Amino acid sequence: MYGYVRPVLKELPQEEQDRFRRVYCGLCHTLGKRHGLAARFILNYDFTFLAILLSEPEESGCLHCFCPANPCRKREALITTPALELAADESVILAYWQLQDGVADHGFWTGLKYRLAARLLRRAYRRAAAWRPEFDQAARCQLETLAELEEQRCASIDRPADAFAQLLAAAAKEAEEGPRRRVLREILYHLGRWIYLADAADDLAKDAARGNYNPLRYRFSCEGGVLDEEEKRQLALTMDHSVHLIESAYELWNFGCWDPILRSTFYIGLFSVAKAVLEGEFQASKSCKDRKTKIGEESK
Amino acid sequence: MNDPYQVLNISRDASDAEVKKAYLELARKYHPDNYHDSPLEDLAQEKMKEINAAYEQITKERSGRASGSSASYGGSYSYGYGYGGSQSYSGSSVFQQIRLAINRGDLTRAEGLLNAISDHNAEWNFLKGTICFRRGWLDEARRYYQTACQMDPNNAEYRQALNYMESGGQTAYQQGGTFGTDCDSGLCGKLCCAYVLCNSFGYGGFRFCCI
Repeated sequence: MYGYVRPVLKELPQEEQDRFRRVYCGLCHTLGKRHGLAARFILNYDFTFLAILLSEPEESGCLHCFCPANPCRKREALITTPALELAADESVILAYWQLQDGVADHGFWTGLKYRLAARLLRRAYRRAAAWRPEFDQAARCQLETLAELEEQRCASIDRPADAFAQLLAAAAKEAEEGPRRRVLREILYHLGRWIYLADAADDLAKDAARGNYNPLRYRFSCEGGVLDEEEKRQLALTMDHSVHLIESAYELWNFGCWDPILRSTFYIGLFSVAKAVLEGEFQASKSCKDRKTKIGEESK
Repeated sequence: MNDPYQVLNISRDASDAEVKKAYLELARKYHPDNYHDSPLEDLAQEKMKEINAAYEQITKERSGRASGSSASYGGSYSYGYGYGGSQSYSGSSVFQQIRLAINRGDLTRAEGLLNAISDHNAEWNFLKGTICFRRGWLDEARRYYQTACQMDPNNAEYRQALNYMESGGQTAYQQGGTFGTDCDSGLCGKLCCAYVLCNSFGYGGFRFCCI
């Protein structure tokens, strides 16, 4: 997950930008408290978004804490809630397995950074997995399916996307049973599907050059690692369809004070990110540093 | 029951026109066509019932007589959903069993029965597409519907399913039809066409049912 899922912060009123920032800082704080300093480095927009989705309709209180990225300034952060704890644990598990995937995908030298990062995150992962065994099991199982599909050079974009979507949908299992959980499951399933496809489109040129598996290379002709206009249209169509299914599900539950942020993400943010990805303009803003500077600027 | 004004998200002193506008907006949002074949179909139906009841209550209170149901939109929305279209179906009994299994949500059984059939005709492709759609496999669903339409271009049910997929899941009842990943200007034009086409069918126009 690389921060694809985000509200359009600059179009939101200041109050909402601050609210988003409080969750971002609150999740960072919770990650640090529960899993140690190393875990704070996995923080990104996608995980913040997961925390918002899992949150209660009302915002809990705030605390002022020091930001390790900017120690001179105190930040307002959401106090730790069960939703933030859940999001933090699930984020650690997802990030750890993603690093393992990186280790498997690369050779000894290029995989070194993944191995090192996974090593740093291992303790946090073990703790998170002990707290959320079902989610860890689901992640493990779906990533195995994904690896098998990669091995077979699966030409369907739906099947590998389904494995990742099921994985993310499993995050809803910890929520209390009832309509909210069903709505969350549907949103997370299609969000997972959308993220997988966005990531595949974003990495297409790189994967084509290195000869790595990417479902788009087998589903479309992808000459020279680039989608032609018709192929882009077809991919945008199926990604947009997932977004519309997210929107239909979203309208069935009241997410309270998070509504402006969620609405901005589902109705505008996802489309603009998909556009940037398909136009090949997203990679440039992908580095962690860029994102952090950006959030700092946007929420000032 | 909840306060009907709260359900429609309007104040008590809203004018009749405002009440109607709020009602129509919500009815459009929760219209069954937007949730057809969705695992959340029942939740949308409940929501629709609540909105209809709220609107009826307000109209009743305001007019002082027991009417209102005639004005409510989607009051008979269960019509044609899931079971209503069975009379239009004329296939072999295996296909009928598959349709029943899909409607029950038993996709494993439906797929098992489908895989045992060697003749991959239009109906086979349509049903395979429906199973994919239910799973959230939207790209494969669209391609199976395409094949079904190529094999039997005159079948309205297949055509409706394909049109729905070609519009990226936008139905005539969803607002913001022009939103989307705009990488091809042709898409908006298509959505507008779909919108007009669907409206001309009335509010059942954009439906494709299994049975």
